[in-house]
Amino acid sequence: MSIRAARTEVASRALLGEGVETLHPSSIDEMAETLAEATAKKRHTLIWGGGTHQGIGYRVDPDLVIFTDHLARVIDWEPDDLTVVVEGGVKIADLEALLATRGQTAVLPEDPGGGTVGGMMAAGVSGFRRARYGPTRDRILEVQAVTGDGRIVKGGGRVVKNVTGYDLPRVVVGSFGSLGVIVSCCLKLWPTPRSTATLTIEPGRLVDVHRPLAVLSDRSSTKIYLGGTEAEVGNQVTRLGGETQNELVWPAVPYRTWAFSLRVPPQTAAGLIAGMPADADFIHQVGIGEITIAAPSSDGMAMLRSKAEAVGGALIVTRAADDGFDPWGTPPPTLDLQRKLIAAFDPQRVINPGRLPGRI
Amino acid sequence: MYDELIAALDAERVLQTPLALHVYGRDAGVYRGQPAVVVLPETTAEVVRVVEIANRHEVPVVARGAGTGLAAGAVATEGGIVLVTTKMNRIEEIDPDNRTALVGPGVINLDLSKAAEPYALHFAPDPSSQAACTIGGNVANNSGGPHCLAEGSTVNHVLALEVVLADGSVAMVGSAAPDPIGLDLRGLLVGSEGTLAIVTKILVRLLPNPPDVRTLLCSFDSIADAAATVSGIIAAGIVPAALEMMDQAITRAVENWLHAGLPTDATAILLAEVVGDTAAVEAEAKVMAEVAHAHHARDVRMAADDSERALLWKGRKAAFGAVAQAAPNYYLHDTVVPRTRLVETMAKVYEIGARHELQMLNVFHAGDGNLHPLMVFDASVPGMTEKVQQAADELVAACVAVGGVLSGEHGIGREKRDLMPLMFSATDLDAQARIKETFDPHNRFNPGKVLPTGARCFDLGASVPPGAWV
Repeated sequence: MSIRAARTEVASRALLGEGVETLHPSSIDEMAETLAEATAKKRHTLIWGGGTHQGIGYRVDPDLVIFTDHLARVIDWEPDDLTVVVEGGVKIADLEALLATRGQTAVLPEDPGGGTVGGMMAAGVSGFRRARYGPTRDRILEVQAVTGDGRIVKGGGRVVKNVTGYDLPRVVVGSFGSLGVIVSCCLKLWPTPRSTATLTIEPGRLVDVHRPLAVLSDRSSTKIYLGGTEAEVGNQVTRLGGETQNELVWPAVPYRTWAFSLRVPPQTAAGLIAGMPADADFIHQVGIGEITIAAPSSDGMAMLRSKAEAVGGALIVTRAADDGFDPWGTPPPTLDLQRKLIAAFDPQRVINPGRLPGRI
Repeated sequence: MYDELIAALDAERVLQTPLALHVYGRDAGVYRGQPAVVVLPETTAEVVRVVEIANRHEVPVVARGAGTGLAAGAVATEGGIVLVTTKMNRIEEIDPDNRTALVGPGVINLDLSKAAEPYALHFAPDPSSQAACTIGGNVANNSGGPHCLAEGSTVNHVLALEVVLADGSVAMVGSAAPDPIGLDLRGLLVGSEGTLAIVTKILVRLLPNPPDVRTLLCSFDSIADAAATVSGIIAAGIVPAALEMMDQAITRAVENWLHAGLPTDATAILLAEVVGDTAAVEAEAKVMAEVAHAHHARDVRMAADDSERALLWKGRKAAFGAVAQAAPNYYLHDTVVPRTRLVETMAKVYEIGARHELQMLNVFHAGDGNLHPLMVFDASVPGMTEKVQQAADELVAACVAVGGVLSGEHGIGREKRDLMPLMFSATDLDAQARIKETFDPHNRFNPGKVLPTGARCFDLGASVPPGAWV
């Protein structure tokens, strides 16, 4: 089979290793052809969107890297339906800038770097505003994915409410390509709030806030992000007090050698934070139970992980110096079922092989 | 098998009388099943035993909650064991700090919100059948309800599930922590209509009751004006908690029966509700009223108090009960179209009704584009059943043609399974079939549902069996 996809030298060859082929498919059919061939030749394949989540999971030593940067079109945007259909390689920042021109947002991560929509979905990450709008997996209406063996599979539909067959879009979120490369998806949109405010209050102060966009806490302060009508925001600002900015001032995600995501039941978060190493920086999404941690080493993280797992949570590595600290921790109890399910979509296990918990 | 089931449960919870097989052999729709036996387990361990017995005897297991479904999702169309979850109805824990509840699948939807009321919390999905339907059934069908416009459907509120898998093992998926590692199997299980596993416990998220609420009743002389108001409200940056439309035919049926104070002379009415901070809901209600007036509303009325609001909602939620006075039989559909295609789709719905000389009543979740066209008829009239069937098929095709989907909240079940190729390619359906096969290699759980048999058995005529209406 001839692969028409452009072949390029990759600048970061040193990073990827010698002999690694790189491809940039520019159509869904090309992606399907590329992966069918990868399966035929059993080539370990790494999918690369913006590269912002490549630090998550077990390391993949690829024979082939497929970039999604040539699958970056906005296919259909219906502002009145509050839906947009985009290809997986669209950059989050570009999409949000486009949607903002009509006062809408897909509520994607606030500090995306060069991240893509497909990468964010595959990694299962959400932005801070999930407190108001739900996590990413709640906002994917339709997905088109190319499976490891090159099948083009669609699930869901371009409407905001749907129960027509198994919810493929939802399970693709966080699957790291194991069920398929996300080549296009339909996202639910929301109107951008007319009025916004960021309130800074002393950490630990208990407040009764109604439908915040987010409540973020770090070592020095708690910030409450409000959005809505002028009346709604203004009223809450008056009631809550604190230092106020009339815009949303999102924190930069702390950057250190190591980064982790701690995910625990919301009410257990404060106790776990108390036991965090003193040299670690963090952003705690209050009420959600997700804590983004940056630290100079993995010291103390094994203890934190065991506490998190004891309450049904997890501590995962999102960026690391490779020192043997396990990236995922204890795999989920349904591992056998997950392995079988992935085999139904990627029988030769060519996309990100071994990356998931349990080295699936 | 009967003796084994009695040994596994007890004689009183293993039913085989003709009456039991008849009652539990159907749901609220038109299909009839032929179960061999009905069991009512009380614990996860008993469900495991039933599945093990079914495996030994190679018979299907069909999970059933209250049987309020309309798509035959809980009907044993291929025989076997009907596993009724209504005795697994314990609310095991309400955790007000974490805002969660751990419940059995047989807990009635409204009972959970009542139990959470002392903590000023509620379970957001509120199907019109909420006084009867079970949370297990809500999970199976990813049920919605009027208030899922802002808060989402059942899947948005399920944190974890305990399930019995086809091999009889018990698995826990998800937890109260966000973003589970590995594949999020919750997402596949919710909405899988009992075809992948049997849900035995559900950890749900509860939401705080809103501090304040405003409910507007807007009446219009045309469906188009009402629909334009829906789009206008959304465009104004407001996502109301609920945005429901009723046409004149359904409004008159409700008023005859319930006297809820709905205007019977309007062509369409819109029920719009916003929740939140008092200042916010007042401002939003004002904007919504302005939008309605800009689209020629003949009247905009705000519910003066809780009792008026409750009455308006009673009128909306009782709509399907009210149609019984119009004709002895009804057939209710559930499709979703993009909101921008509402007006043309509604015109098509009425056109299909007129062409087949069938009365169409419409009450639906306008904010979501979720239509519920309701055809009333008398099945004793010769040829009427076939006519309704033809109109129903045309309706679904018309919705899919404008980018819609087969079901928004009722599920596919047996009713729409053969329509799946309208939306999905053979490759898409094959992928879905692989999911089913992975979970349930012997096709033990609810066989003959959701996915068409064979790869491409597209046959509109098979979607409703002749003579099934009586």
